[in-house]
Amino acid sequence: MRVEDFVARREQSWRELEDGIRRARRGRLRGMPAQDLERFGMLYRRAAGDLAIAARDFPDQPVSEYLNSLLTRAHPLLFRGPSPRLSRVVRFYAVELPRAVRSAHVYLYASLGLFALGAVAGWLTVVLRPDLVSSLVPPQVLDGLSQGHLGNDQLKQFAPALAAFIIQNNIMVSLIALVAGVGFGLPTAAILATNGWTLGTLGAAVHQAGFDAGFWSLIVPHGAIEISVILIAGAAGLMIGDSLLRPGLLRRMDSLTRAAQRALVLAVGAAPLLVIAGMIESFVTPSDAAVGAKLAVGAVTGVLMWSWLLLAGRRGSDAAKARARKRAGARPSLDIPGAPAWSPSDAA
Amino acid sequence: MLPDVLKVRTSDNVQIGYVAAGIPSRFMAFLVDALINLAVLLVAGVAASALYSAMGSSGGVAEAVALTVFSLMLVLGHFLYFAILEATSAGRTPGKRALGLRVVRVDGSAPGLGESLVRNIARIVDYFLGIGLFVAFFHPQSRRVGDLLAGTVVIRERTAAMHAPPPPMQPVLLRAPDAGPPIDGLDRVGEHEHGVLRAFLSRPGLPPEQRARIANDMAVKLFDRMDMAPTAPERIWPPELFIERLYLQLTARLGHA
Repeated sequence: MRVEDFVARREQSWRELEDGIRRARRGRLRGMPAQDLERFGMLYRRAAGDLAIAARDFPDQPVSEYLNSLLTRAHPLLFRGPSPRLSRVVRFYAVELPRAVRSAHVYLYASLGLFALGAVAGWLTVVLRPDLVSSLVPPQVLDGLSQGHLGNDQLKQFAPALAAFIIQNNIMVSLIALVAGVGFGLPTAAILATNGWTLGTLGAAVHQAGFDAGFWSLIVPHGAIEISVILIAGAAGLMIGDSLLRPGLLRRMDSLTRAAQRALVLAVGAAPLLVIAGMIESFVTPSDAAVGAKLAVGAVTGVLMWSWLLLAGRRGSDAAKARARKRAGARPSLDIPGAPAWSPSDAA
Repeated sequence: MLPDVLKVRTSDNVQIGYVAAGIPSRFMAFLVDALINLAVLLVAGVAASALYSAMGSSGGVAEAVALTVFSLMLVLGHFLYFAILEATSAGRTPGKRALGLRVVRVDGSAPGLGESLVRNIARIVDYFLGIGLFVAFFHPQSRRVGDLLAGTVVIRERTAAMHAPPPPMQPVLLRAPDAGPPIDGLDRVGEHEHGVLRAFLSRPGLPPEQRARIANDMAVKLFDRMDMAPTAPERIWPPELFIERLYLQLTARLGHA
């Protein structure tokens, strides 16, 4: 076939596809009547077939490039990810986020371990090298605690602005801990350990000065949520780093992309909890409530948060089935009557 | 230099090629977006602070919520601007639209909310010490860290400026007034050779000496393929004349108009 005949025969259908592309609003075909949509899909597949013919028979003709450009414009209209819907938010927090946290438990342990490592190192440094305490812990902190400064009225007056600053700052820290994971997880590990270190040195210095109750009543009420979220964001960052270090059977680039999607769910899902933590930090922490009440706030919020993350979104029937299978001691039903019984350990 | 192409296979296993956008056009698009973003944030900021000073401080939780929303908007507004607009416009922020760019996934499909969030939160890394510029500079498709994390590529849609099939290139005969005497061995060549001759003749603008050299190379190969006798008169025709006559005779034999 001559290229002129080819173009003349098919041009009408290409122009119709062009028309369909032009009618797409904001990059989607929503609102197009059903039969038009069906026709659009058919025209797209025909144009794809035409490109295959053109690429074989007329690779040097401008029509090949034209068909390529036509298809690159039509393709993203038909193939796309799910549209963002507000109704998905409920399911996200009820099911997806708790599941994502549970499936990332290895990284959570690692994240907690790095934080604890920093904290223990900080504590030991203060205990073993008392000469360094003044450079590790600002003396104002201890002075403030001894005079009960941090609970005074001055601070209460600025509580709203303080809350805004704390929340914004903590959300940035958790997002940084997430994306810093691309540095093979090292920057994330450093962020986690430094946060632990700060808590450890402060805790030890305050302990030596004998202000334990005052200090922990300033940390625990909001810390239960805040530290949990930082640990989750850290776990997400470590997940990204691990995907680069141990890509398994995937290419490093593909492994990274896959891990980033999982990690995003963790960090971006958990970050809004920092709003609650920040509100507690600005309004409950500096209040005149008793130390015991403040500690109770921390304990209750922590227990609520983790029971949600650990229990929500479990499929009851699945769990029950798994238990039933375990009780029955059933193996995968590969047994052939008369053949020797097979068990997974044989395969190893 | 050839542009870097992202090759994608459709569901019918036809290969289509997206032209990856370069750093300069992406930077221009970024500037446009950043300016729009800045203007929006500035207006919102002025309005919010006017409202705040009019209402006065109450010190309550409601005020804290309002201030939090405001300060988050200032800090995250930049990232959210890109993420939300990319997710709702199939990868085309106003800046990208102005420069004819678009975000697609590496499989050629439009990005969703997940990809948009990943690639734009990762701007934190990309801005830090210019890491994004460094990575994009060395990546064949100019992908920055956010693109690598999200599995996306920014492509150029400007080549799509033509919205109708362009006319095919026409062969131009510069020398031969007629098909000339019948050429021996015409039945030994076919459609494939016809296409090659046509492609050659469709480029009359080549410099004369280059055209002559290419014509000579082609003629030598064609003599071979057609088993031309060493004494055949065609061998002493000027190569360009031979090619034009062969094209005309082949066109007639293959029944093309």
